[in-house]
Amino acid sequence: MGPLAPNEIISENTNFLLAFFIGIAFGWVLESSGFSSSRKLAGIFYGYDAVVLKVFFTGAITAMLGLLFMSLFGWIDLDLVYVNPTYLTSAIIGGVIMGAGFIMGGFCPGTSFCGAAIGKIDAMVFIGGLFIGVYGFAFTYPWWEKMYMAKYLGEPKISTTLGMSDGMFGLLLIIAALGMFFVAEWAEKKFPREAY
Amino acid sequence: MKYINFEQINDMKPLKLLAMFLIPMGLIIAAVPQNKTNPYKLTADELLNEVNTRNQFLAPDAVADMLVKKDPSLRLIDVRSQEEFEKYSLPGAINIPIANLLSPDYTDILNQETKMNVFYSNGTLTANEAWMITRQLGYNNNYVLEGGLNYWFENILNPRQPSSTSPDEEFAKYDFRKSAGQALGGGGLSAQQASDNQAGAAAKPSVKPAAKKKKAAGGC
Repeated sequence: MGPLAPNEIISENTNFLLAFFIGIAFGWVLESSGFSSSRKLAGIFYGYDAVVLKVFFTGAITAMLGLLFMSLFGWIDLDLVYVNPTYLTSAIIGGVIMGAGFIMGGFCPGTSFCGAAIGKIDAMVFIGGLFIGVYGFAFTYPWWEKMYMAKYLGEPKISTTLGMSDGMFGLLLIIAALGMFFVAEWAEKKFPREAY
Repeated sequence: MKYINFEQINDMKPLKLLAMFLIPMGLIIAAVPQNKTNPYKLTADELLNEVNTRNQFLAPDAVADMLVKKDPSLRLIDVRSQEEFEKYSLPGAINIPIANLLSPDYTDILNQETKMNVFYSNGTLTANEAWMITRQLGYNNNYVLEGGLNYWFENILNPRQPSSTSPDEEFAKYDFRKSAGQALGGGGLSAQQASDNQAGAAAKPSVKPAAKKKKAAGGC
């Protein structure tokens, strides 16, 4: 049955329409979780607020469980689901740049639009920086191309690399996430901040 | 007996509540075997419709014509056993024994959008079985050589001369078959040189260049 678009159950246009509504829902959830505040977001790096970790990890685990169960019931063909190809060098460098930008700016790309939507000026400045970065990278792409494409690993999954079933890895990830949530809540008590 | 106390649940910390839900789900998904089945894409009704049109059958004359003209889009697939294949096969054919039809080695050959795969066996039965299975998996561009090798031997490689009262088309067909048979190593060796091959121009289904299944891209 699924995925719907690759199996041509819904058209490409319907797919975009669904994405539009899902995007709005995603923005709404981000805003109502407090993700439009850069101070709240930056809290994860100082320990006083772990909402980023909790919301995103809960979202990821819920989606993972949903996909695994849907695959179990034969509702979705996981072989047709897009997996980001891994270019190791650029993944590491990009991760460092993204993390540094997150600490300094207090937003990640999605949440900056969320903040701008409710009129936060720091979020708008962040978006400006984001576009400078995007265009800067695009215009100087030939300089980076070799590094950008280095260490291509295909589409590896951690479960196959470790030689375990997807479900087993899912269980380990759930336990790891709950452990992290526990540590995060402990940190929130340990490094409290009055108002932010 | 203890009943569930909903107030107790409401008082529970969110983390505990989350753990109570996630850990059992994780245990279930870790315990069940992974779904590795290769599901059929067509429903029984859809397949029945296609079976009724009989569009999967290719006339031997059309296949012979493509073979003689060395049509690059034609790919003959022998679904008989390897032994039989080695004893005799059609020119340029590859061997995929029906027992190995679902082997991942052959997926790229059977599930593609550029070539015209023609299954053949001794009769029509085995080739048609291969077609049905691949069709149900949603693969396109697979066909069946009508009549199989038996018909091929009798009519393409050793055509019988039509009786003198037959219509002209019969003669044209005979002439084509004889020349094709000779070109393809048959036994029809009588001297007359056949000139035209109108019959060979029988309608040949075109390969549908359906869009290759794209994975949906995503990102954060």
